Amino acid sequence: MWRLLSILGVVGVAGGALLIGRRANASSSTSGSTSGSSDGATPDVADIDLPPLPTAADVPYEALEMINLEKNWGDTPPDLRPLFALMEATSMIVGSARVFAVIAYRESRFVTSAHNGNAANEQDERDDSKRAWDNNKDRNPPLRFGAEAAAFGSGGLFGALAPYFLWTGVPERGKKAPLLNAPPELVFQPRAAAFGAVVYMQRLLAHYRVDDIADIKAGWANPGLLGKNRGSKTYNEVRTRFLADAKALGIDLFDPTIPAKLSAASWPGVPVAFEKLVGALPAEFT
Amino acid sequence: MDLSDYGLSGFDDPGLDLLSATEVRSWYRRQWTGIAAALGFSQSLERQYASSSTVSLAGENQTGLEAFTSTFTADTQAQAQARVQSSVLASVIARGRQRGELWRTVDDVATLPDGACFPAAGELHRAFFPDTAPGYFGDGWPGPPPRAESACGWETPLVLHLGTFPWIYSGRLEGPGPGHRWPLEPARLGLGVVASLLDPETNLRQDARQVAAICRTFASHTLALLRNLPTMPPAGTWSRTPPPRLRVGQVFVRDGQVLVHQSSLHLAGLDGPRGRLSVLAYNYCVGRFAAFFALRAAAVRALPALPPHVQQLALSSPDPVLRHYAEQSIRR
Repeated sequence: MWRLLSILGVVGVAGGALLIGRRANASSSTSGSTSGSSDGATPDVADIDLPPLPTAADVPYEALEMINLEKNWGDTPPDLRPLFALMEATSMIVGSARVFAVIAYRESRFVTSAHNGNAANEQDERDDSKRAWDNNKDRNPPLRFGAEAAAFGSGGLFGALAPYFLWTGVPERGKKAPLLNAPPELVFQPRAAAFGAVVYMQRLLAHYRVDDIADIKAGWANPGLLGKNRGSKTYNEVRTRFLADAKALGIDLFDPTIPAKLSAASWPGVPVAFEKLVGALPAEFT
Repeated sequence: MDLSDYGLSGFDDPGLDLLSATEVRSWYRRQWTGIAAALGFSQSLERQYASSSTVSLAGENQTGLEAFTSTFTADTQAQAQARVQSSVLASVIARGRQRGELWRTVDDVATLPDGACFPAAGELHRAFFPDTAPGYFGDGWPGPPPRAESACGWETPLVLHLGTFPWIYSGRLEGPGPGHRWPLEPARLGLGVVASLLDPETNLRQDARQVAAICRTFASHTLALLRNLPTMPPAGTWSRTPPPRLRVGQVFVRDGQVLVHQSSLHLAGLDGPRGRLSVLAYNYCVGRFAAFFALRAAAVRALPALPPHVQQLALSSPDPVLRHYAEQSIRR
């Protein structure tokens, strides 16, 4: 039970989407600072400035030999393709770069600062993050900015719900998971969002029955769709929408360079993925 | 060469020496690296550079064009449109080159192949966008209409801004360059114009007054958009005052370029008086204007060493500013 429900570092997911299936509001973006924190400190998110978006030069040469950054990307912004390629190279999930692109297209329309939960009419998003916090806080390591995460909603390139994003890596690293002391606004940093996404995909592939690429998106919306709800109306809708997204974006998921089933068998581990994608957080957030 | 003679300011002459192989290689590679980053063919360009041993100016342009075309895949769907676009472009490029107005071509569609119409689903369609409303490159086209009735509804001339290909339409700078959606052959012809304007002969043949007029219009409509953006010090420099803190997704200015913090430049835009302006398009167009005038200045400096027919082009140019500097250069 623990194993099945521990995806994304969350022990005991009580239904609902882990990563919001609805498209993040691309027009609303982060304010860049938070109003306070659980321990009384006032974090200044502007102080967390991770390295810039990777370029082709940051992607390992061997990976670039396999991942052509110019073909079969459709309308994926060219300056985000190296990030997706780096995610594939880091996670060693062959074929995942373009799958991440299709997911980002759905979740954020590639807007790194996309935020669902900061507008008055996005109470449902805040409800989702609050539920994620309430249902799991007692079974996971504490988050320094737990209250803020609960009120945050979801955001970033991959539309991550804030509490789950900050618990990324808990099953593998426990209290040493790297984002436990970070504020939820970190999700707007594309490298941090990428880290959350590769860990999430790895856990989907390693712990769930994933028959094909469209199943990944079903699990992304809700891992329950890969279990007892497999074959349900929602399961089919998510899969259909994902394939339609790929077509609309202009990515051919049946390209010979993309395996029919992705594998996380060569996963390097959370610390390596964090180091390669994020690097290090400022000392006050570690 | 003083660009204030053209009513322009803000462009620094990098002092390119066309007689120095090292400088030529470095300057042209900077140009093509920028073009490739904007148009998404950096990986191919790097591969071309890794295997290329070119030492000539023409070779640098050829390498860039080859990298661009290598990213295209065959599009069998749009063959009819591509065929008409290609033949029309070949025609307007030849005329524009002859007139010294290659940067912006204006042609009566009745005089163009197939009337700039292509067949699809039993009907004739315009092969290009009728770009004659006021935009960032100009104040629109007042007329007259084509001399003959168009079979596909043209009521205006065909206006193309090939000097800033793929942003060829004055009123379509809000997103990716429309010319980048063209199939291989017309796209190759379009970027070929950009490359040719980096060639001293074609550059000198182009009437700089046309480019300057477009550049002034562009600047007049974009200046206010940039005025309120935070300015960051050049990378790697020390500043007495701390630079402004940037939010993810915030647009800012650095080194004359508009950039966006931790987000895709390809999605960022500014809302201006003539519609939304893609930040990528802005940077690209400024880059093209700057490159044109940098090469113009370099070509004038190197004029005594250029072939006689190229010297004659400059000395007999209808542009008095070019004639003046060309005469000075030859007399030195």
